[in-house]
Amino acid sequence: MNTPRSIREIFGFFFFLGRRTGKTRVFALLGLIPVVLAVVVRIVLHGRSGDIAAVFTEILMVFFLQFYIVILALFYGTSVTAEEVENRTLSYLITRPLPKPAIILGKYAAYALLMFAMVAVSLTLSFFVMNAARLREPALYLTFLSYLGVLGLGILAYTAFFTFLGTVLKRAILVGLVFGFGWENVIQYFPGSTQRFSIVHYLKSLLPYRPAPGGGGKGVALLLFRLEPTSTLLAVLALIGIGAAFLALACWLFRMKEYLYEE
Amino acid sequence: MTAVIAASNLSKWYGNVLGLNDVSLEVEEGITGLLGPNGAGKSTFMKLITGQMKPNIGTVTVRGQKVWNNPEVFSGIGFCPENDVFYEDVTGWEFLTGLLRFYGYAPAEIRERAARALDIVDLAKDKDRLIRGYSRGMRQRVKVAQAIAHDPEIVILDEPLSGLDPLGKRKLIKLIKDFKSEGRTVLVSSHVLPEIEALTSRIVLVHQGKILAQGDIPYIRELIEAHPHQISVRSSDPRALAARFLGDRSIQKMTFAADGRTLVVETHKRDDFFGRLTGVVLEDGIEVEEISSPDDNLQAVFEYLVGK
Repeated sequence: MNTPRSIREIFGFFFFLGRRTGKTRVFALLGLIPVVLAVVVRIVLHGRSGDIAAVFTEILMVFFLQFYIVILALFYGTSVTAEEVENRTLSYLITRPLPKPAIILGKYAAYALLMFAMVAVSLTLSFFVMNAARLREPALYLTFLSYLGVLGLGILAYTAFFTFLGTVLKRAILVGLVFGFGWENVIQYFPGSTQRFSIVHYLKSLLPYRPAPGGGGKGVALLLFRLEPTSTLLAVLALIGIGAAFLALACWLFRMKEYLYEE
Repeated sequence: MTAVIAASNLSKWYGNVLGLNDVSLEVEEGITGLLGPNGAGKSTFMKLITGQMKPNIGTVTVRGQKVWNNPEVFSGIGFCPENDVFYEDVTGWEFLTGLLRFYGYAPAEIRERAARALDIVDLAKDKDRLIRGYSRGMRQRVKVAQAIAHDPEIVILDEPLSGLDPLGKRKLIKLIKDFKSEGRTVLVSSHVLPEIEALTSRIVLVHQGKILAQGDIPYIRELIEAHPHQISVRSSDPRALAARFLGDRSIQKMTFAADGRTLVVETHKRDDFFGRLTGVVLEDGIEVEEISSPDDNLQAVFEYLVGK
């Protein structure tokens, strides 16, 4: 089979398998947290739509950007290779007439779509619950699509990075945790160009909501604190570049490396 | 006959541990049994010929083609891994149809092939149950089914009979023999001699990463002539019996078993020993309760050859 067809078949198989796992059920339930929060915030801030926009960016997007997509990408991305090795099911894949990069790309695509579906459901519910009073404003839908796009790009970039980690390391989850919740959390608050060494910097640069100049914005401004944004075009290119580079590395390594099962 | 699988000076090590040491082997059409204790290097060899690992030294080809990073070669190979591992959250049917997708078949053909394979391994009526809920025997059979569903020319089965009940073993042995009659090449591994003996007379003995011997069973039996036979004689007075054989030059060694009633003799001339034993029993009236020789089965041949 040629590579595109192989990718498609791997994608189909693992998208189907991915939906069945307990991991997916747990993470889908986790996605209900912002929905519950949104309901609470909506009740508390009833009638204050400006505050609601700030709260969404400052609190719920913190959850989405700095926790939900990171934890999803960490567990699904590292598992692209690692679960096959740990569960010893890799033999079923690499003894088929499939180019090895197709296994990585197909599984990556399947898991990325699965994660995107979970994030999209969670975001849709929480966003529209919070903005229920503004449903007639066309701008609201553009904002929603921007958020969705940012999270989608985040999933692509983070998952590619964690797929690479899972391909190269045996205990990728641990290193991934340090990266996702250590490095990414700390480096983004560094001034100057240092923060550009994080994925989250480019994601935050794409957020539609920005605090008012000089005032630091309403709310706690946690998400946008010390952000020195990169331009939209550059941020998108950087995220796509990060995703493509780490995926290419993962494919190359997976092709060259042999995986031994632990006895 | 042309070699279907050819391994030449194959060596593989894991860090400081030698998995396979300078193995050269040609596997021809029909059934070849790979026999050796656990850790002998059978699975390593199978992983090398199925492209799951690459050799540190040497080459391996299947039908003249290299296997490492050569996906085309796998259209004609079916592999049944030793480990009891699956994608657990799917049914037997989903497992098979899912894996058959990787051969580029049309959906109707996938369904047809999966149904046929499940039928062959007697799992048709359980196809819609989750693999997680399968018994060990059923899991073993679905593993074999995924190896044969795409109708491969070469079938490689790593310990396929392990965990099966006697009936399941008999069915699978018949199935593997059917592969042979269909003109396929089958390489099957086991650490249990009678299993291999039931499948084929062409065996390869593997031990500590090396091929110890290869040939048909009569040839392997001939090899044993170079080794002493072991005969156990349980008697009312084993020490008196031992005293009678002390001067016999054909006896290599005599020991007493832990029960204190059994004399264990090692000799190159088994028939001579039995002849003399009969005389001693008749002349001295020593009561012999049991005579047994582990050399009478293939297990003994194997144990001698691996130096146990």
